[in-house]
Amino acid sequence: MRSRLFKPTLIWLQGVTCNGNTHSFLNLPYLPQLLARFEVLYHPLLPCSQSLEEIARCRRGCDVLVFEGAFDPMMERAGVTLERLVAYYAEEAGHVIAAGSCASFGGIFKAAAPERNSGLAYAGEHPDGPLLGKAGKVINLSGCPVHPEWLGFALMNIAEGRPISVDALGRPTALYRHMAHDGCLRNEYFEWKVDAEQFGRKEGCLFYEHGCRGPLTHASCNRTLWNGVSSKMRVGTPCFGCTEPDFPRRNLFETKTNMSIPEEVPVGVSKRAYLTMTGIAKSFKIKRLEERLTDDD
Amino acid sequence: MMTRALIEHIEGEASLYFDTRGEKITWAEIAFPHFRGMERMLEGRKATDALVITPRVCGICGHAHLMATVRAIEAAYAQAGYPVVLTRKARSIRELTLVLEMIQNHFKWLYLVILPELEKLGVGGLSPAPLKGAYAAAQATKILALFAGQWPHSSYMIPGGVTCDPTHLERIQAAGLLDELIGFFEKETAGVGLDALLSFASCREFNPLQSDLGRLEKGLIATEMHKKGMAYDRFVVLGEHGFTVRARLKHTRPMKADPCLVSTEPAVCRDETSHARNVRYGKHFYEVGPLARSISADTALIKNMHRRYKDSVYTRVMARAYETAVLLQHAKTLLAELELSEPSYVPPVPLERISATGEGIVEAPRGPLMHRMRLERGIVAEYKIITPTQWNLGSSVMSDPAPAQKAMVGAADIAEATFIFRSFDVCSVCTTH
Repeated sequence: MRSRLFKPTLIWLQGVTCNGNTHSFLNLPYLPQLLARFEVLYHPLLPCSQSLEEIARCRRGCDVLVFEGAFDPMMERAGVTLERLVAYYAEEAGHVIAAGSCASFGGIFKAAAPERNSGLAYAGEHPDGPLLGKAGKVINLSGCPVHPEWLGFALMNIAEGRPISVDALGRPTALYRHMAHDGCLRNEYFEWKVDAEQFGRKEGCLFYEHGCRGPLTHASCNRTLWNGVSSKMRVGTPCFGCTEPDFPRRNLFETKTNMSIPEEVPVGVSKRAYLTMTGIAKSFKIKRLEERLTDDD
Repeated sequence: MMTRALIEHIEGEASLYFDTRGEKITWAEIAFPHFRGMERMLEGRKATDALVITPRVCGICGHAHLMATVRAIEAAYAQAGYPVVLTRKARSIRELTLVLEMIQNHFKWLYLVILPELEKLGVGGLSPAPLKGAYAAAQATKILALFAGQWPHSSYMIPGGVTCDPTHLERIQAAGLLDELIGFFEKETAGVGLDALLSFASCREFNPLQSDLGRLEKGLIATEMHKKGMAYDRFVVLGEHGFTVRARLKHTRPMKADPCLVSTEPAVCRDETSHARNVRYGKHFYEVGPLARSISADTALIKNMHRRYKDSVYTRVMARAYETAVLLQHAKTLLAELELSEPSYVPPVPLERISATGEGIVEAPRGPLMHRMRLERGIVAEYKIITPTQWNLGSSVMSDPAPAQKAMVGAADIAEATFIFRSFDVCSVCTTH
C-alpha cells in the first residue's frame, strides 16, 4: 500500500457529455475525504488548481486521468482537439478511468453520431477506440451515469495502490460481476414468473413485459443503492441496461417475447432449461404474490 | 477590439467575445461551441424511449427534461382525443421531485459558482466552501431518489403517472431528510429560520445576518452589482406549477403568456461557430428564471429588491438564492399533503394509436423548458427542445441584443462582465443539446 502522503495528481476531462457523471460524482457521501487523497489539477466543476486553458497546453501530465463523455477526435476543449488531449494525458497517466457509458463504450452520444463517436477503448462491445493500445490501463466504469460509489471505489483503490481486477470489457469485477437483478426487491416475483401487469405498483416483476434488463445487465445498482436509498427497479422503473455496450437499445419499456417468454433469458442460463423452469414455476399459484403488499393504498 | 474569454465551470464551456473601450465593455457576443444532436437521435424511436434519452440532455436538470417529455407525450394523447388521466398523487410526486432537482441546482450554483466567483472580484470574507454545495445537493437528490429511484438520469415519469408506489415509510424518510436539509439551509446558508426568511419583505433584513446569504448580499452591494447587469426588465414564466404563475411581465406588471408565440432562430457570433439559438416571445427577448418566477409569484422580498435595484445582477442572484427557501418550503408542503391512497398510474390507451403533436413545458432550474414533438403512430417524427438558457444567453445583433448581451454592455471590465454572464446560471449542455 502507498503511503498516505503520496497524493496522485488527477485530471478530469470531458468529451461529448451531458455532465451527468460529474453531477453523479458530487453525490458521493465521502467526497471531501476522497478529494483530500488527490491533488486535483483540473475538474470541470470542483475546485482545482489549473484552468482548462492551462490543461489544454499539455505541459504537465497527471497520475490519474478521468474521462467523461464519448470520444470525438475532432471535438475541441479550449481550442485543442480531444485527440491530442487524450493522447497526451493517457500517455502520462498510470490509470485512465472511463467514467460512464459514453466514455466506456460510446453510450448515448455514440448513438447520436455513430460514425464519429466512441468510447476510449471500445466502440460498443468492439475493442476500437483511441486508447485501444493502452486498454490495460483503462478502467471502464460504465453506467449512465456512473454510480458515484463505483467511481469512489476505483479512485480509492488507486490512491491506496491496490490493483483492480477487470472483466473482459475492462470493468472492475468487484462492481460488475453482479447483475443489476441482484438485490432487486422484486426477485420473488421473478422466481415465480409473476409479471407486474402495470406500472405504478411495487408488486410484480418488470422483466417479463416491461423491458427490465436486470437479469441481463452487469451492475450492482441494487447492492449499492443510488443516492444511498434506491434504484430504478425499487421505484418500479425497468433497468434499461445502461452499463452494457449496447445501451441505449430501442423500445426501452418493452420486453421482446416469443410465445410470452422473454426472447433473451438471464445471463448464464440455457434457453431450453429456462423454458422448462418457467413452465413449472408458472404452475404454482402463490396467493401472496397475487395480492397487494400494503394497505397504504 | 475583440477580446476572447473562455468561460468554464458552466456545464461545459462558452466563449465570450468583447468589444471594449479602455477596459469598459461596449459589446459582447456569446458562442457555445459544442453540439450533440439529441433531437435527431429521437426521430424514429418510440415516444417512450424519449423518457430515457432526453434526461441525458443535461446532467444537472435531467428531471426537468423528463417532465417536459412526459407532458409533451400526454399533450399528444390529448390532441389525439385520448386525454390521459393523472391522479393528484402522481402530479404531486412529479412536482416534488422536480422541485428537489431545482433545489440541488441552486445550492450548487451558489456554493460552487457564485461565491467563489464573487471572491475573485475582490470581495473579502466570503470564505467560499464549494463542498457545502455538493453536500446540500446530495441531500436533496437523496430525497428525490426515494421516489424517482436515482438522480441523475431517472425515468420514473411515464404517460399516465409515475412508476413508483411509495408507502408511508418512504414519505416519512423523505420528510426526515427534508427537515435535515432545511436545518442545514437555516444554519449554514441563511443564518435565520426558514419561516423568518420567507417573511422577509425588505433587503434591509439581510443586514444583521452572519451567514453565507448575508455575506453574499453584502458582497453584491460591495461590488456594486446592484447597479449593474440590467437586461430588459421583461420576464416570462411558462411552466405551470404550484410555486409560480405562468405570465409575461413588463417590469412587475403581469400579462397573459401564450407559448404559441415562442420562436427560435440561430444565434449570431461573428468569430466562432455557435450552436446556440435565440429564443423570443413575439418579436422580443425576455429574461427567464428564478427572478421571473419570483416576480410572477408576487414574492414580497424580491419585488422590494426589484423596486430598488431593478433587474440588476443583485436582484437576479438574490432571487435564485432566495428561491431555494421558497422551494424547500414548497417541497415540505407537497410532502405533507401527499395522499398515498390514490393510484400512481392510470394506464392510457396504447401509444401506437397516437398520431398528433404535443408540447410539454416545465419550469426547469433556469426557466421554462419546452419540448415539442410530433408523433406518428407513437413514433417520434420530429422533436424540438427549447431550453431556458437559450432565452437568456442567446447572441444577437447590436440593434437587438439578447438579455445576457444587454446585461454585459457597460460592465467595467471583462472580469465583471463574466460575473454578470454567470448571474444567469449558464448551462452550456442545455443551450446546445
